[in-house]
Formats: sequence, structure tokens, C-alpha cells
Amino acid sequence: MGSFDEVHGPDGVRAHYQALMNRLAEIGDAELADRLGLLDSFFRTLGITFAVTGHEGGLERTWPMDLVPRIIPPDEWSHIESGLVQRVTVLNRFLDDLYVGGQQAINDGVIPRWLVESADGYVREAHGIPAPRGSRCVVAGIDIVRDDEGTYRVLEDNLRVPSGISYVLENRVAMTRILPVGFASHVIRPVDHYGASLLRALRAIAPPSVDDPTVVVLTPGVANSAYFEHAFLARQMGIELVEGRDLLVDDRHVFMRTTKGLKRVDVIYRRVNDEFLDPVVFRQDSLLGVPGLHGAARAGTVTIANAIGNGAVDDKGVYPYIPALIEYYLGEEPILPNVTTYLPWEPDQLEVILGRLDQLVVKPVAEAGGYGIVIGSAADEATLAATADALHSNPRGYIAQEIVQLSTHPTFVDGHLEPRHVDLRPFVLSGDRIEVVPGGLTRVAMRKGSLIVNSSQGGGSKDTWVLGNGGGHAVTPR
Amino acid sequence: MLSRHAEDLYWVGRYVERAEDTARMLDVTYHNLLESPGDGAETTWGELLEVLFVNALYTGPLESSAVSSYLVADRTNPGSIISAVERARDNARGLRDRISTELWEAINVFHLDLARADFHIDLDRRAYEVFRSIKSRCQLISGVAAQTMPRDDGYRFMLLGLLLERAEMTCRLLSVRYARLAGGNGQSGFHAWVSVLKSVSAYEAYLKAHDASLDPTDVLQFLLLDQEFPRSVLYCLQQVERLIERLAGPSHQASMERAVGRVRAHAEFTDIPTIVDGRLDPFLEELQREIYEVSDEVEAHFFRAGTDLQLHFQRWA
Amino acid sequence: MRLEIRYLNEFNYREPAWESHNLLRACPANDDHQRLIAYQVDVTPTTRVHSYTDYWGTRVDEFGIVEPHRDLRIMAESTVETATAQVPPGDATVDALATVRAELSSFLRPSPHAIWNEPIEEAARVAVGGAVDVVDVATAVSDMVTSTLDYVPGATYVGVDVADVMSQGKGVCQDFAHLGIAMYRSIGIPARYVSGYLYATEQTTAVAPDEPELSVQTHAWLEVFVPGYGWWGLDPTNAQPVGELHVKIGHGRDYQDVMPLRGVYHGGADHQLGVQVRISRERLTQMAEQ
Repeated sequence: MGSFDEVHGPDGVRAHYQALMNRLAEIGDAELADRLGLLDSFFRTLGITFAVTGHEGGLERTWPMDLVPRIIPPDEWSHIESGLVQRVTVLNRFLDDLYVGGQQAINDGVIPRWLVESADGYVREAHGIPAPRGSRCVVAGIDIVRDDEGTYRVLEDNLRVPSGISYVLENRVAMTRILPVGFASHVIRPVDHYGASLLRALRAIAPPSVDDPTVVVLTPGVANSAYFEHAFLARQMGIELVEGRDLLVDDRHVFMRTTKGLKRVDVIYRRVNDEFLDPVVFRQDSLLGVPGLHGAARAGTVTIANAIGNGAVDDKGVYPYIPALIEYYLGEEPILPNVTTYLPWEPDQLEVILGRLDQLVVKPVAEAGGYGIVIGSAADEATLAATADALHSNPRGYIAQEIVQLSTHPTFVDGHLEPRHVDLRPFVLSGDRIEVVPGGLTRVAMRKGSLIVNSSQGGGSKDTWVLGNGGGHAVTPR
Repeated sequence: MLSRHAEDLYWVGRYVERAEDTARMLDVTYHNLLESPGDGAETTWGELLEVLFVNALYTGPLESSAVSSYLVADRTNPGSIISAVERARDNARGLRDRISTELWEAINVFHLDLARADFHIDLDRRAYEVFRSIKSRCQLISGVAAQTMPRDDGYRFMLLGLLLERAEMTCRLLSVRYARLAGGNGQSGFHAWVSVLKSVSAYEAYLKAHDASLDPTDVLQFLLLDQEFPRSVLYCLQQVERLIERLAGPSHQASMERAVGRVRAHAEFTDIPTIVDGRLDPFLEELQREIYEVSDEVEAHFFRAGTDLQLHFQRWA
Repeated sequence: MRLEIRYLNEFNYREPAWESHNLLRACPANDDHQRLIAYQVDVTPTTRVHSYTDYWGTRVDEFGIVEPHRDLRIMAESTVETATAQVPPGDATVDALATVRAELSSFLRPSPHAIWNEPIEEAARVAVGGAVDVVDVATAVSDMVTSTLDYVPGATYVGVDVADVMSQGKGVCQDFAHLGIAMYRSIGIPARYVSGYLYATEQTTAVAPDEPELSVQTHAWLEVFVPGYGWWGLDPTNAQPVGELHVKIGHGRDYQDVMPLRGVYHGGADHQLGVQVRISRERLTQMAEQ
């Protein structure tokens, strides 16, 4: 089974890549190698690094960006965009139904109650917390892959605290500095309005009684691996970056401590996980949160974005039901299909999985970042046996999927261009409307043949160009 | 601005000033003792530890290389230069969006250099250079701050910390040293007064304002009450008063403003010649106490922030 | 039986405490077995108390005190009318549970305070023997808990592992309840934790006291699901079904979901806590009974 190549089709270089590939050929590999060196020092000077998890002592790497941008033509993008708007509309509807709407979808049998209630990210304390405009996924990161036929498919939904948008913006800036000639003759949709769009969305979900809401970014602090992005976003929006200890709840209202006294806070864009938000309700040992924050959110005097409890949908066990939920809420076919998925907790599907274990990929439902994944075709006998045991003893803990041969894209490796697998994480904002940032983060597996694109596991990234006919950014009404 | 940022900036100011004051006093003490070694050495080192508030912590011998190394490079000493700079740097790290890149780099590079230095060798062979370099790095930080920071509340809080630390340090220096100086006269008295002046970088400025005869009353007058010398206690307090007025804005904080007004007036309206005989000690002690009060008020009013959380819950029945 | 309950928590801090924030779950439930007649919470220093009903149906009183204080007094007073013990008709078999397991899966999976191991499951199986009737099975397991553990005040702490409790062989009422829940769930019987008050002279009896007013402690027991009947209360600490001396506050998967009082504050860790529960029979009821 071959992979779909983004650049090279059966008839040679695809039309939308011709100008770029010609430019790169003119520049030549030696010059590109020089530019790559510049790129590294560009990111190093800006201090754009990320921590690699799973390494003691917090290993830091500079952000690896590839020199060859990924290009998405306008027609493909409008397909992706409408699919994302459809999907995120439904994810918001489902989460609102789950936590404040009487659980119609569960009662109507679209998705089993036991499955939702056993999701790690399902938060019973989120019941009754209102979300103005029903916008629970204010920032959604939807991971999309392209199968061997070039079909765009949704791989997973990240609705808790998806990160990576700062890299999208920095990649674009870096690209204009390092390879300006590449841009010539292309009309590329801009991404630098993201801060303004995010702020607009956050202001739109303020408690209804507030006219001129104060919005803050809540970070766990400098020790967090994504602190750079938290500070970056606060700066882009021109709002305060706070830690839990900067906030205080008095009589169900949230305030920040300033040198001029207490100041009301109306919307919190939090980058702190649910379990650390409020030690009175969630983990008691958490010093990152704000005592009473849950009560204030419940009373509707402050809006927390993303909403508490979104993790119910991040659970990979819930993912297979999203197409049915789209059908249920909108009466539409999903525009972007899922990847074919098998459910180990259904006895007949477990049989299928065990019979084809060496052809499928098995994923733990609650892990992110590519951890714990077993790709059957690449696993040895012992691993497959251990996986079969795990599926038997804890079927709810896993899903199995057909292996998607992610599309490939020419990538500058060891001094020349070679195909590497890529995915795409577009960012979708829900405020008073749903808005998709053109492009998103294209992640690339730098190791030859590897399908794991996560930055924590050696992945890199590409600037992602959505071609358009003019400036501005597309906005789709809900 | 956020109380946490204000507090962090305030402590950056205090720690940098503390590091500089410590280096200067070490320098003067160290080189004075080289010139006139003798029985006084132990007392002098003991006094220095007292001025720096670490006499109760220090358990080593009272001689120059041990004390110097304790005050410069000992991480177990919370008052050492290396500790102060490390804490300034930790505070600055959370302020990356609040302070200029130049200021961050000045503090961070200083911290990294100190962490790399081999003080055991350096203090033995070229103590003068060590002290001078620390002083100039601290001055570089204040200078970079003055050159690159907008004159906003953030800058004011940093300055506030620096000035309170400086006023406190000068008072303590006089208080500890004066007991012995009061009795001394002749040559040794003269040297001791020179060293006090040098300890606060005041010797040259003093000579311009007065003359080389070094009348103790004049020295005290100069270090406590000079209107133009930027390290005099009164000068610092006047600046502190103005900063606090500006920072509090329309939300008058009576107790804080009273506290700073009281200590400034107390200093300003004291007639040094009349207290020089016998009443200087209580005066300096009172002044120090009043400066602490101002610090407490500043911390309580501007910074009252979350400390560690404690848990309440009912035990198993 | 009509009971009046006064539940008092008094905190005394050595250093002033400030920005205290608390959740109280002390209000008796209003359900088929008991009727809530009156409930009131008083907090000193005075502050606004906000109330809501949580996911499990328990009333939560939430309040904070921002200003520094050295004493915190929380008084919850309630009046409740309880019913005598009921035993469900013994016609439901464990097979009948198959149809409700998906719906009640929250009460079948391990929860933080009720994670079972092999010995716990084994003990449950031994207790059940060949019984198939849910009421018989439930009673047998509850009796197994009662005989496995000795009631020893202060024997354990919040957060103790239920497997450790089992091997130690002693615990307090929360441990009896958690061990019971773990055993039930290990053999597929839905079980939930109940927090409440018990009108009895000792934790280990459920005999109606002679005294009109008693000083007691908060209590914990459990409920199992009986098909065709609903949730049935059992008190393994006292080897009894739940009756008119038991006043239920609420239920959850375990203690974590229905903690009587939970809170945090700023300030020194050094504090003293006085907890008092006084229960009295209302005079009217007594007269009627005489």
C-alpha cells in the first residue's frame, strides 16, 4: 500500500506546487542547507523551544521546522474548512447536551451511557456549568490525516488545551525571513490575525451581563512545557498572563490581584488541566488552581475556556461515535470521515481485531502525544501478544484502527529533499461563530518511514500555506 | 499591574542592590585588613557578618578567605551574592514579558557567570577583581534597567526595592560600625571612617562636599542626611516616598503613606550634632525599625498574594 | 422517627487564616426513606452561603471567607423524619442485574477509594457461596465485611487503600463501607457509598438509644442495587439493614464524591478542629411513642 504524495502526482508535480518546486530547484540544495542553519539560530534566539516529555530533567529542543512549506489549494481547503465547522458544531452541541442539556444523545441511544461515563475526561462536576453560546470548544485542535487515496480523514479531536498555534504563527514569520523568495507568485492566506480572532471569541463568551469583559490567560507557570505559547498568546491578545495564585474568588466572583487592588475577571482562557483548576473540588494537592473557581463558573459569573469536561470527547473510545452524532444533531453525513475504527468492548469486533492484530494500529483511549501506540505491522511477536492480553483484560482502554499510510511530502533531510509522512492540525475557534485558521500546524515525521509525527517523539513541522485569491480570512457563520 | 509581577520586580531590585552592597563592603573590609592587619581582624569580619544579617548563620572562622567565600559563593547562605543573584534571576524569569530583553540578559548572564566561576581560586589570587567585577555587573544591571525600561509602575517597584534595601543597609552599617568608631580617634579612627565611606561609595563624594579631615559628625550628616548624595538614607527615603505616592495613585493607603512620611520626617528633622554623643544608637535603631515598617506596609498593601494553601477536611469518623 | 441534628465544625487557627473556601455536604436527603423537614446553615464569621445540588443529588453549601480570621464555626441544623428498615422482596436474582449494568456502570467500576484486588474478590465469592438471590448475596457480603474488620476508631486515615484495610483487619465506618463496595463491585453487583448520621450510642450498634439526645459522629454505609426494587441500604459496620436511626446525606461512588466538609485556606497549617454531631428525638415524636 503506497502513500499519497502531496507534491508528486501520477502526472508529475501537482499544479499548485509547480511554482514552489521550481523555486527550490533554482535555489539548490547547498543554499537550502545554509538557510536551514539560519532557521535554527532564528528559533534559538527567539527562545522557541519545547520540552520533550518522558525525559528526566526536561530535555529542551529548538523547534524543528522544515524549509519546504505544505500547500493546500483553495478547493481542498474549503472542503476541510466546512468539514471542521460541521464537526466542531457537533462537538459543542454534544458537550453542551452532556453537561447542561439533559443528555438527549445518550437517552436516544446514539452513544452508550456507560462509555461516556467511563471516559477519563468526563467530569461529573462540570454538570450544570453554563457555557455562553454553547461554545465549549473555544479552541479545538482537530488532527487530520490523508490516506493512500488522498482522502482527508479526522484522526483525533483535541478539545481540552490543544497547543501548537504559536508554532503556526512563528513558522510563518520564520519562513518570510529565511526563504522570502519562496513566497513569490503565491497568494497565501494570512494567519497573523489569530490573536485578534481568539480574543474576539473569548470576549463573545463572557457572561451575558458583562459589557466590556476582562479576559486573562491562565498558565500553570514557567515550569510548564508550553509556557512559551501561553506567554505568546497573552502578548498577541494584549491581555494579562496570570497564574492561579494571581486570582481569588470572593462571593462567587473571580478577581485578579493587582497593585491597584482587586480587578474583576470575566473570561479565563486556561491552559491548566481540569483536575488542577480548583483544589476545593478537584485535586486537593494542586497549587496551580484557584479555590472557588468551580463555584464561580457554576454560578455563571466567569466563563472558563475551554469548558471543564471537554476531555469526555478527547477519549478515543468516544471518537468512533462522532459520525453518528453528526448525523443525529445535524441530519448530515460527515464531510470529513473518521479513520475506520474497531471497538474492543464489542465482542464481535474484538474477534476481528485479534485476528488482524498485525495489520491494525492499537491506541490507548486516554493517551495523547502518540504514546502507547502499537502499530501492528511493525510490532514483534511479544508486543503483539502483550497487546492482545491488554485488549482482553481492559477492552475499554483501547481502540484499534486501520493503519493509515499518512501522505508524504518532500522534506529537506540530510542535504536534499526526501518524502516524509505528514499530518495536519488545524485550529478551530468557537465564539459567536466558528472560525478556522487557514492552514494549521503540519507536523512531519523526520524519521524515514515513521508514521509518528508528534513533536515529543522527534517530529518536526512545516509552514502551511492555504492558497487564496485575496487577503482577509474566511469566516463561516454557524 | 499584577501584584505578583510587582513583587517579583521589587525583589529583583532588592537582590541586585544586596549583591552590590555585599561586594562593596567585602572589598573595603578585605583591603583595609590587608593594609592594617592585627587583632582587629576577627572583630571586623564579625561586624561585617552582622551588618549583612548572617552572623547567626555563620559557623566558620572569622578570617578573610572563609568569610569572603561564605559571602560570595556559598549557596547555603541565603544572603550570599551567588544566592541573591540566583533569586533575582528566578524572579526575572517569570517577568520576561515585563522587563526588557537587555535587562533579562544582563541578569541571566551574570547568574550563569557566577555559577561557572571558581571562587576558591579567584578569591585567593585576585579578590580585588572579583569584588570589582561583581560591583560593576550589578551597576550594569541597574544601568541597563534605567536605559531600557519604560518609566512605568514596573520600573517603580524595582526601584522601590532597591532604595529600601539601600537605606536599610546604610543604617545597619552605621549602627554596627559606630559603636567602635565613636571611641576611636587618631589614625585608626581616620581609617575606619574612610572605610565606612568607601563601603557605601561615598568617599569621593564626601571629599567634594566636605574636606579630608573627616569629622565624624560630618560623615554621619553626609551618609544620613545629604540631599544630593544618592546613597544617603534621607535621599533614598525621599525617593521611596515619592514612588509610593505615585504607585498608590488615588487609592490612598493611609497606613503606608503615614509610615513612609514618618521615617522620612524623622530622618530629615534630626539634628545630628545633638545626638552624636550617646543618642546615635537609639536613633539608628529607631530609623531601621521604621524602614522595616515601610517594607512591611509595601508588601502587605501591594503584594498580598496567595501563599501556600492548607487543607481543611473532616477526618474519618 | 423524627430527629433533630446539629452538626458543628469548629476550626481554631494558631495564625490568622484568610481566603478560606469550603464545601459542606451535611443536608439530609429527601427521598423514599426519609423526609427533610428543615435545614439551615450558619457560618461565623458571617458570609454568604450559596447552595446547589451536585451531580449525585446531594445539596452542597459553598462559602468563602476572604478576610483574616482565627476561628471558623460551621453549624448545620436539620430536622428529618425517617422510616423503618425495609427488606426488598427476595425475588430478584443476580442474573437480573445484567440488564442494568450498562446504566449503572459508574457503581461497578473501581473508584479511587474502592479498588479491589484478588483477596477482596475471593472473600466476596466465598461469602456468596451458591446464593443467587440478590438480597441474600448482598446480606452475605455485608456480613463478610462485618466479620473481616474490627471497628477501631482512628485505625486508618483518609486515603487508605482498601486492600490494606482488609489485610489489617480493622478500620472505621468509612473503611467498612469501602471494603463492602469493593467486594460488591468485584462480583458485578452495583454498590454505592452513603454518607450520613446515625442515631446510636456507639458506631457499632444500630439499637435505638434510650437517651433523648446523643453526641455522635458522622457515619458511612452503603447501598446495593436490587432489580425490581432499587437501591437498598446496608450498614456493614453494624451488621444491619439501614433503618430509622440512619439519616442519609447523600451517596456517590465513594467517600470522595460526598465528603462532609472540604476546604482550603491561606495561612499557617497549625489548626485545631472540633467536630460535634448532636442528635435528638423531637419531643412530639417521643410523646407520641410513649
